[in-house]
Amino acid sequence: MSKENRVEKQTRVDLLQGTLDMLILRTLLFGPLHGHNIAHYIKQTSEEVLKVDHGSLYPALQRLERRGWVTAEWGTSENNRRAKYYRLTKAGKKQLLDETSKWERLNAAIARIMKPAGEES
Amino acid sequence: MRWRKELSFIIRRLIHRRRAERELDEEIRAHLEMEVERNVAEGMSPEEARTAALRSFGSVALSKEDSRAMWGFGSLEIFWQDLRYGMRMLLKNPGFTTIAVLTLALGIGANTAIFSVVYATLLRPLPYPESERLVWVSERAPNFSVMAISYPDFADWRAQQTVFEEIGVYNRGSYNLTGRGEPRRLDGALLSADVFAALRARAAVGRVFNKEEDSPGAQPVVVLSYGLWQSQFGGDAGVVNQVITLDGRSYSVIGVMPAGFTFPTGLAFPGRVDCWTPVGLLANEPMYQSRGNHPGLLGVARLKSGVTLKQARAEMDAIAARLEQQYPLPNQTIRVRIDPMLDTYVGDAKRALWTLLGVVGLVLLIVCANVANLSLARAAARQKEIAVRVALGASRRRIAQQLLTESVLLAVVGGALGFLLARWGVPLILAIGGDSIPRAAEIRLDTGMLAFTAVVAVLTGVLFGLAPAWQASRADVQVVLKDAARSLMGAGSWLRQGLIVAEVALTLLLLVGAGLLMRSFYRLQQVDAGFTHERVLSFKTVLPQRKYTTDEQRIAYFQGLREKLRALPGVEEVAFASNFPLGKNGNQKTFFIEGQPAPPPNETLWMDVTTASPNYFRALGIRLLRGRYFTEQDNQDHLRGRDLSGLSEGMRRNAALNAIIVDEDFARRHWPNGDPIGKRVRFNPFIGPALTVVGVVTRVKLYRLNEQGGFVQAYLPWLQSPSDGAVVVIKTRLEPERLIAAARRQALALDPEQPIYEVKTLTEQRDISLAPERLNLALLSGFAAVALLLAAIGLYGVISYSVTQRTQEIGLRMAVGARSSNVLKLVIGQGMRLAVIGAALGLLASLALTRVMKSLLFGVSATDPATFATIPLLLVVVALVACYMPARRATKVDPLVAMRYE
Repeated sequence: MSKENRVEKQTRVDLLQGTLDMLILRTLLFGPLHGHNIAHYIKQTSEEVLKVDHGSLYPALQRLERRGWVTAEWGTSENNRRAKYYRLTKAGKKQLLDETSKWERLNAAIARIMKPAGEES
Repeated sequence: MRWRKELSFIIRRLIHRRRAERELDEEIRAHLEMEVERNVAEGMSPEEARTAALRSFGSVALSKEDSRAMWGFGSLEIFWQDLRYGMRMLLKNPGFTTIAVLTLALGIGANTAIFSVVYATLLRPLPYPESERLVWVSERAPNFSVMAISYPDFADWRAQQTVFEEIGVYNRGSYNLTGRGEPRRLDGALLSADVFAALRARAAVGRVFNKEEDSPGAQPVVVLSYGLWQSQFGGDAGVVNQVITLDGRSYSVIGVMPAGFTFPTGLAFPGRVDCWTPVGLLANEPMYQSRGNHPGLLGVARLKSGVTLKQARAEMDAIAARLEQQYPLPNQTIRVRIDPMLDTYVGDAKRALWTLLGVVGLVLLIVCANVANLSLARAAARQKEIAVRVALGASRRRIAQQLLTESVLLAVVGGALGFLLARWGVPLILAIGGDSIPRAAEIRLDTGMLAFTAVVAVLTGVLFGLAPAWQASRADVQVVLKDAARSLMGAGSWLRQGLIVAEVALTLLLLVGAGLLMRSFYRLQQVDAGFTHERVLSFKTVLPQRKYTTDEQRIAYFQGLREKLRALPGVEEVAFASNFPLGKNGNQKTFFIEGQPAPPPNETLWMDVTTASPNYFRALGIRLLRGRYFTEQDNQDHLRGRDLSGLSEGMRRNAALNAIIVDEDFARRHWPNGDPIGKRVRFNPFIGPALTVVGVVTRVKLYRLNEQGGFVQAYLPWLQSPSDGAVVVIKTRLEPERLIAAARRQALALDPEQPIYEVKTLTEQRDISLAPERLNLALLSGFAAVALLLAAIGLYGVISYSVTQRTQEIGLRMAVGARSSNVLKLVIGQGMRLAVIGAALGLLASLALTRVMKSLLFGVSATDPATFATIPLLLVVVALVACYMPARRATKVDPLVAMRYE
């Protein structure tokens, strides 16, 4: 493994499957997007901390569609290319809400353990 | 309903599969193009932009594969793909596939066959409702582990017990069926009415008998078996209420049992049962009236729900103890024995069957090792293909999964073939085993057994597939792609060698087991049974008591039969006896030695007693050691003029006895220092006659060739106590089989209503008594031979593979002057090292494991030095041959060709 690779490893975080699903759903909250949009949206909003292999997006999108959380239809992209747009469904919104609250509870709990009160830096 | 939505998604994708594929391609292409544009916009050169886009995307193939996986039934879809791929791979290697499938079929088929026997005999509940509550009851005494039940004892038990729902007794019986064409011998059973109740058995037609019919004065009734109903009465339901003649007495047919019903059965009572009659009809007869007589009755009972075996034993023993106080003489030390019904059905077969199941399990392990080895060799040849797939983005897990799927596929094909093998093998086992396999009629290869085969096949596939899968998952792509020839061998070779060592060790274990059985069987056949079985024909006949009422009539019949049989050409001697050696039946009596103190209660003396006509000893070659054989003068003449009218029938029967012949054991044990001739023996210390010992003969094996110890043996004069039934033995000058038809004709000429049955030569009888041992030997040595063959193939495979791998090295050695003998030594040495290590481990395992076979062995210790010395030698010789063939090939290597080889 090259040195460069190791540096990357330290600063970027691999995503678990469930987390990727949640992020995609969150990204789609403000309107339909195609795969390429989603990839860059996640990368930018996470300030490039989250590493998403673009390739792993497509199986995730198929999974979300299969679960009925998103629907897909062909549209035209910003630069006039045919692209598949994914839209959040009602079930998808509900799933996102569930996941978000679960995530918040988990996050709060971990935060309490990692940073006990009074130890503010 | 989420799953419904998902299902409709899957179905849509399934129907529009091509469109979905196309769209996925397009979607990903669009993505990449957008990324390239974006990169170019950020200032990269077109090439850089393209490389960067591909890198950030990761494996396109993997992304597509994972996406497609979402369209189907997930892992099922992948499994299907792997299956099709595996199928193609197996078809591409017909040689490998054939060997592997045949080996697996053998291993799995053997397991299916043996398991179907084990399942039917040991595991499946008996074919009676709630059969786990059924127990088998008999009497016992300190030196008599299973004693038949005396009828008065049974009557008291039944009245006093509270632990059973029902308790009944039964006995094997047989009848002459007459009045319907040629007389026929029926094998039947006498039952008390409670037996049907305890078994929860109902008639298919009509009914079974009730308590009123199961008593002395009742009108005789009979229940027919389904088989007899079909064969003798054409399955006519009108048979109910018909009257048939059994032993000259009229019985009303009241019912027919269902097709599957048989009782008693199992190891102790093999064979057919044609009909059932009430035992109570005989309750007034002297042999049933006397509490001290145990006329072959055994008990069957149904435990009340919630009552344990222990509680039942405790209560029944308490009842027996009370009876002992009440009737001290006949019931001294007599207690009750209660065992689960299934145990008594299965008897000694249990140990042998479990051992055999263990043996086929080992064979299957050897098969696994062998196929694993073959697969490893093949996987090495497939490294390049696998490496390419890894490089294209297949995960190692996927590769391992793929290889495992192939292995399981192979095993399932082998299993299917194995099931067919078992269908052919089970009848073979039954043919060899004969009556020594209990519940044989219940053995079947049904869907349940097919499921067993399927499970075994899949497990086998996983087991032997693990090695190649594990190896492939560790392969280093870089190395493989650069240098396809040798890389994996280093990692795999210890695995392959380890498998061979294990295979050899297991094979040795099986060979030692087979060797021990072989020696034991040989010993058994060498056993001096104390009589000559050659050129003796035997048959049985039982005279109906109603027709032959007096001793004179019985003696007249048998003397007449003797004259008629002696008239046949080639007949040397004709004799009668109550039972014969190596038969199933025997008769035991307690006795006392006159002039010696009576033994303490728990050391009651028992003898195995045979009533024999004067020439019986000569006919069977039972040697006289002292004194004389019986003569025609050992008859009832001495009773003439005595008034016997005051005696009961039983006492009258004994009154005629005045002579006895004892065996060498008897003489040694009771008169160690004196001459036994002229000494006297009594059956009752106070009343009845005293019998004078007139001769001492050699001991015979009465029940089985491997019997050891047992009661002392004695003979009573036939002419003083002729029984209704007898075994007739005919000593011939020619092959005894030739006499069968003539003997039957002569018997029918004497009394056309009197059938003879169980016509066999004593040699056949002896063979039948060896059936369990023969079955164990045949199966175990068959499996051991298979194991040996597999181990040889395995060793051959490994060595010849390694020769191929080392062609270059060998060529080099020969180029620098190594002789072919050096090469031979090198290659054979490599193989023999494995064989010797395996053999050594196998020897250790054998020392530890053959102990479980102890009960199957006769005259050979479980660690018999001769076996333990010769078997490893045999294995080493076979290993030598297996290594020699590839080694010779190695010596033929042409150095010039080898150096270029790559």
